[in-house]
Amino acid sequence: MLPYVLRRLLSVAVTFFVVSLIIFLMMHSIPGGPFDANDMPVSAAVREKLMAQLGLDQPLHVQYLRYMWGVLHFDFGVPYQSPGETVIQLLSRAWVPSLVLGGLGVVIGAPLGILLGMAAALNRNTWIDYFASTVSTIGLTIPVFVTSMLLILVFAVWLNWLPASGWPQPERWILPIAAYAAIPMATYARYTRSAMLDTLSRPFVTVLRAKGLSENRIVFQHVLRNSAIPLVTVFLPMFIGTATGSIFVEAMFRVPGLGAYFVSSIEKRDYPLEMALMLMITFMYCIAYLLSDIVYALINPRIRMGGSE
Amino acid sequence: MTFVRKLAWGLATVTALTLPALAQTTVVAPFGTTTGTYMDYMKTVYDRGTGAELLQVPIATFDKEFELTPMAAESWSQSEDGLTWTFKLREGLVWSDGEPLTAEDYVFALQRAATSGYDFAWYWDFAGGIKGWKEVTEGTADVSTLGLEAVDDLTIEVTTTAPKPYFPSVTSLWYPVPKHKVDELGDDWALNVESIVSSGPFEIESWEKSNNAVVYTKSDTYTGPWQPTIDRLELDPTLAAPEVGLPAFLAGDADYSFLNTGQVPVATQRYPDGIRKNAVFATSYISFDLEAEPFDDVNVRRAFYYAIDREELTSTVLKDIAIPAGSILPPGYPGYNEEVVAQAVFDPERAKQFLADAGYANGEGFPDIEIWIRDEGGYNGAIIPAMAQYLQAEFREILGINMNIRALPGADWMDGLRNKRNNIFISPYEYDYLDPSNFYGIFYNGGRHGYFIPEYDALVAQADSESDWDTRVDLYAQAEQIMIDQGLIVPLVHPITIAVVSDQLGGEGSQPNALGFTPLDRLAHYFFTHMTKQ
Repeated sequence: MLPYVLRRLLSVAVTFFVVSLIIFLMMHSIPGGPFDANDMPVSAAVREKLMAQLGLDQPLHVQYLRYMWGVLHFDFGVPYQSPGETVIQLLSRAWVPSLVLGGLGVVIGAPLGILLGMAAALNRNTWIDYFASTVSTIGLTIPVFVTSMLLILVFAVWLNWLPASGWPQPERWILPIAAYAAIPMATYARYTRSAMLDTLSRPFVTVLRAKGLSENRIVFQHVLRNSAIPLVTVFLPMFIGTATGSIFVEAMFRVPGLGAYFVSSIEKRDYPLEMALMLMITFMYCIAYLLSDIVYALINPRIRMGGSE
Repeated sequence: MTFVRKLAWGLATVTALTLPALAQTTVVAPFGTTTGTYMDYMKTVYDRGTGAELLQVPIATFDKEFELTPMAAESWSQSEDGLTWTFKLREGLVWSDGEPLTAEDYVFALQRAATSGYDFAWYWDFAGGIKGWKEVTEGTADVSTLGLEAVDDLTIEVTTTAPKPYFPSVTSLWYPVPKHKVDELGDDWALNVESIVSSGPFEIESWEKSNNAVVYTKSDTYTGPWQPTIDRLELDPTLAAPEVGLPAFLAGDADYSFLNTGQVPVATQRYPDGIRKNAVFATSYISFDLEAEPFDDVNVRRAFYYAIDREELTSTVLKDIAIPAGSILPPGYPGYNEEVVAQAVFDPERAKQFLADAGYANGEGFPDIEIWIRDEGGYNGAIIPAMAQYLQAEFREILGINMNIRALPGADWMDGLRNKRNNIFISPYEYDYLDPSNFYGIFYNGGRHGYFIPEYDALVAQADSESDWDTRVDLYAQAEQIMIDQGLIVPLVHPITIAVVSDQLGGEGSQPNALGFTPLDRLAHYFFTHMTKQ
């Protein structure tokens, strides 16, 4: 397994550099720069001075190499939008609310979805099954800003049970977490249902039943475990997608998180932050898929890591 | 008995101790934009920390009737030749760290602005006309040649290139910079709550950089006019979107909220006494590339001028959020001229005739065009996309012209406008200072749109330095007549913003002015120092 992991790590590194190059080129191919957004531009002389201060007067390849050299030393530069701190400091500050809310959303939503999916699979074509599919269809099709709006309307405005939005008091976390949880719950309900139905129809389940195993043991110890692969595949990428903050959820609930930076860094031509965010996401997805693959093997020993036969 | 008495005393003491804390009034307001770099208005306007202007005291500012009121200045005077203004500062003004606030802090603010890439630097040339400003910003002259001097601790002298009778109103955007802090920390003084000092009615308590929300408290050290009547002020840009602001307002988390069109009926029904309207001093207009086909033909531009039914536009798609614009100047703005406005009528026949005169009868042979709009939030975001679609249909129906719409991010739209990458735009503009020269200056000598119209420029230049008000207004009206005759722009609408305020909010700032409008945070210094909360 070790050679396999090493080979995968090497491919992560290659992916990382290819992505960094593409992002860098795309970023700089958008017209305008950090000093061109305002109604009346600064004078050419001043603009030149500012560009030189940020090193933007250098040829592109020099800028790229300089940035990547920094990245290798864990230095992502200083964000133009927040000159008082480094990109790393900004990320570690702004990521906390996103991680807490998005992370809890997935951590709460996924098990709920699994339970819902199991209930649906074990009670196929009953009202429970229909209920579960209705819930998951709604969860998957209604955009998160609509869900957020409905949650605010019902729980904050009509019932007055919870604050409408804000941070950091924990009672203000509940609604955004619920909004975040909707998608993992819906996704998991669907995946679990179909994976379980698939497994339940396998001959080995009949054998287990013939052996006289209790239904609970069959479901939890055998069926669920054998249905787990698709669930593992979805989990980490979903976690990363959600725990880096949704611009919609964070705007609706006034969360000072990471979500808005994904957009503002592009709008403001904040090159260091934009690169850092993209590289961070790339890196996390690469690692997530690697980990998922390793977990596959742990769950199901029949899956062999290529080359180790 | 003793126990009861003790208990009573204890309770009384506790109550007495907590009363001041309970009496603390905090106002939570939607204000600002969600990104901000420096808490320093004289370093950056477009990327400033929320409410940076409230931390400092301007030379002068406007009250809700748009009367200019001296703030840091006690008085001012103009020299005989009209070229030099002398401002006398009040005695006893200090920075929140105890250092005296001096004329030097104001002069330094502009000297730095002229040399270090201030994103609002153009204002001091365009509006202020300060001697040497252009040369210094372009790097061809030394900063010492600027027409600015701190004569002594309390006296500032400003020299302009031409007489600027309205210069005092320009100073409503002139804030001091703590030179002693910049000497110590550089521009970074304005990056952290610990090192930020203030000279105005509020001081800073905290600043959440991820969304640029701030908490201000009433200043202990400010001795100037307009002392705040509240203790704490939370300014939260994330509340500025009505979709977020209104639910927070309804749940009791905000003291007022702006409304979008869909929200107006609901809020009006629930809070009939809480609705406040404001005619923003702003105008949306169509601008052209005067040198590019097909808009290099004045007849085409005039056809557009007459092809728009502004009444229908503002009573249907823009109901409650805009009023018709017949001039670049909004109603209530100094110099507003009814005769100019009356010319902007909807006259489809005339529009068709102009288009035919240009050789495109019924739109035949007219190239497909694409109007560029700026993708943004706020009142413009509510108005412009809907308006663009209305115009698209109107031009199709009346002129037989195909017009596409393209929304671009701010930077790209500006790049397009400045470098003439397209030939037609919807351009919004909001006033910077209260004088007609502000709006006419947009088209002066190149200006925002690269228009060079010699006869217009001559009239505007003459009006700008004219000291007699009636003559000035007349000259501006003549200049606008040239704009109409040459179809330089097509005025479309002036935005109206609607807000709902809580019944706990009181004070002069929350009440309408003589025109029936409540400018709310458009006049931040006035509003936030003239509000009370129960």
